[in-house]
Amino acid sequence: MTPLHTRLFGLLAISWGSVLIYFYHSTRVKDYLAVDFHHFILVGGIGIIILGVYSVINPKPKNHSHPADHDHDHDHDHDCGHSHDKEDCESCEHHHEDGHGPFVTILLTLIPLTLAMSYTRDKLSNQGLTKKGLYEAPSLTNAADIPPFTREDLEKRVSKNQYGEFELRMITAYYAAGDREIQDIFDGLPVELEGRIAPEKINNETGDRMRIFRSIITCCAADLQVVGVSLQFPEGATRPKPEDWVKAGGTLTFETVNGTVLPLLKIREVIQAEEPYSEFRNRQ
Amino acid sequence: MTDQTKDQLADGSYEFLSIFLEGLPFIFLGTLVSGFLGTYLPRGAFEKILPKNNTLAILLSGLLGAIFPVCECAVVPVIRRLVKNGLPVSCALAYMLAAPIFNPVTAISTYKAFNNSYEITISRLTIGYLIAVIIALIAARIAQYFILKESAKADEGHEHNHPRNLNSALNNSLRDLMDVGLYFCIGVVLTAILKTTVIDPTDEFWKNLADNSILGSAGMMILAFVLSLCSTSDAFIAANFANFKYGPKLAFMVFGPMMDAKLVFLYSTVFKWKFIAFLFVAIFILTGAFSLLFEMKILPWWMTSQSEIPLAP
Repeated sequence: MTPLHTRLFGLLAISWGSVLIYFYHSTRVKDYLAVDFHHFILVGGIGIIILGVYSVINPKPKNHSHPADHDHDHDHDHDCGHSHDKEDCESCEHHHEDGHGPFVTILLTLIPLTLAMSYTRDKLSNQGLTKKGLYEAPSLTNAADIPPFTREDLEKRVSKNQYGEFELRMITAYYAAGDREIQDIFDGLPVELEGRIAPEKINNETGDRMRIFRSIITCCAADLQVVGVSLQFPEGATRPKPEDWVKAGGTLTFETVNGTVLPLLKIREVIQAEEPYSEFRNRQ
Repeated sequence: MTDQTKDQLADGSYEFLSIFLEGLPFIFLGTLVSGFLGTYLPRGAFEKILPKNNTLAILLSGLLGAIFPVCECAVVPVIRRLVKNGLPVSCALAYMLAAPIFNPVTAISTYKAFNNSYEITISRLTIGYLIAVIIALIAARIAQYFILKESAKADEGHEHNHPRNLNSALNNSLRDLMDVGLYFCIGVVLTAILKTTVIDPTDEFWKNLADNSILGSAGMMILAFVLSLCSTSDAFIAANFANFKYGPKLAFMVFGPMMDAKLVFLYSTVFKWKFIAFLFVAIFILTGAFSLLFEMKILPWWMTSQSEIPLAP
C-alpha cells in the first residue's frame, strides 16, 4: 500500500469505528443487538478507530529491508505487472495483496452504510415482524422447553400485581399453547403480560382484538423471533394504539383456530407502561 | 414509493445494520489476529507444528475449533493470513469450515435450543466436522492454482525481510480489515435484500416442504444461506420450524455456518469463484446426504436416537 492509500484506508477505518461508537453512545445499539453484545461494539469501535488513527499517522511500514542478495528486478512468480527497484520498496506490499483500492472500498461500504442509517427506523415494520413470526402458532418443539410445571410452582416462582394477576413472561404464555398440561394450569388464570401492541390479523372478524408481542434474540436482530398473544377487548374498553408499550391484565385462555391451539388474553384492563432499556428478551 | 416498498427499505436497512454492527467487531478481531500472525509467525512454523502426514494434519485442523473457538466471520481473515504464511490450504479449509460448528459455544446453544438434546448436538458437531474434513481431503488433491486467489497464495520464492514490529502488524491488520470489510459489507447488503424482498420463512411454501425430507433439507439449506445467521444462534431458529423433522433442521444448522450469502463474499477474499461454487455444491450435497442418513437412522445410534419431544396427549 502506498502511504496515501494507507491514510485513506485509515480514515475509512475511523469512520467505521465512529459508526460503532455512535450506535453505542446514542444507545441505538439496543434496538439492534442483544445487551450482551453491546460491549463488543464499544471495544470494537475504539479498536478500529485506534487502528485508523495509527495508520493515518504512520502510513509507511518501518525498516522494510531486503536481503543483500535479493534481486529486486526479478520476475515474480505471480503476475506483478512490472518489476521494481529497491527504491520503490515502500509500495511493494501491493505485490502480495491485490485488494481493491481505497476509493472502491470507501464507495462500496460507506454508501450502503449511509443509506441504511438514513432509512432505518430502528425497528421492523409490521410486515417485517410478520416474517419473524408475529402471527405464527407456537412450535411444539419449544413447548417442551418448559420444565414440568404445577400450579404450586407457578405460585412460588411468578410474582403477582396488585390485582392478583400473575406477571407472566410472554414467551411462557405463548408456548403454553403447545402443551396440554401447561394449558390446564394456565387456562382461566388471571395474568398480566407486558409488551408492544400490534394489530391482530387472526380470528378478528369482529375487530375486538389486538396483539401483544415481545421479541427474542440471541445475538442481533437478524436472529430475532417474535412471540405474540392475542388480546380480546370487552365492548367499550379503552384500546391502546399499535406500537404502544403496555401492560395487559386479564384472563388467559386458549382457543383453537384452524386446528391450532392459540393463547388468548381476555382483557380486564390495558395500561401504558414504561419501555424497558431494551425490548428484546435474551434467549437463555 | 408505495408503503410496502418503504417498509421493505426500512426493514432491509434494519437487517443490514444489525448484521453489520454485530459482525464488524468480530471481523476486526479476526483481522487484528491475522495482522499479528502475518508479522510475527515465522515462515515454516506450521511445518513444525502440524503432523507430517497430510491426512492427520487435516483431521487435527478440523478439531481446532474446540480449542480456538471462532465465528464464521472472524475465521476468514485469520485463515487468509495463515495460508499466506504457509499453512496448507487443505488444513485451513478444515479449520475454516469446522470451527464455527465444532466449538463449545455452538454446542451449548444447540443443546439448549433442542430441549437439552445431546443427540442432535453431537450429530451437528460430528456432521460439521466430517464434511469439513471430507472437503479438505478433496482440496488436498486439487492444485492450489485452482483454489486460491493470486493474492492469497503463500509468498514462496519472494522472501522479503518484512519487519517484525507493531507498525507492520497494524499495517497488515488494516489491509486485511479493508479487504474483508468490503466483501463483508457487500455480502450483508445482499443478505438484507434477500431477507426483505425474496424470502419469507413464515410462507406456506416452506411449511409445505416439511413433509418431504429431501425437499425439506434442500429448502432449509437455502433458507440458511439467505438468513445468514450466526452459528451460535441459528439452532434457536431451526428448533422453531415445528413442522420439519430433525434431518432438515440439522441440514439448516450444518449448511448455514459453512455457506451463506455473506460468507460467499468473505470467501472470495481467499478463494477463486470457481472453487467457491465447488464448495457450495459439495457442502450442499454432503449436508443433504448426512441429514438424510440421520433421518433414516443409518448413522450411529448416539447420533440418531432423535428422542421424541415429551408432549402431553
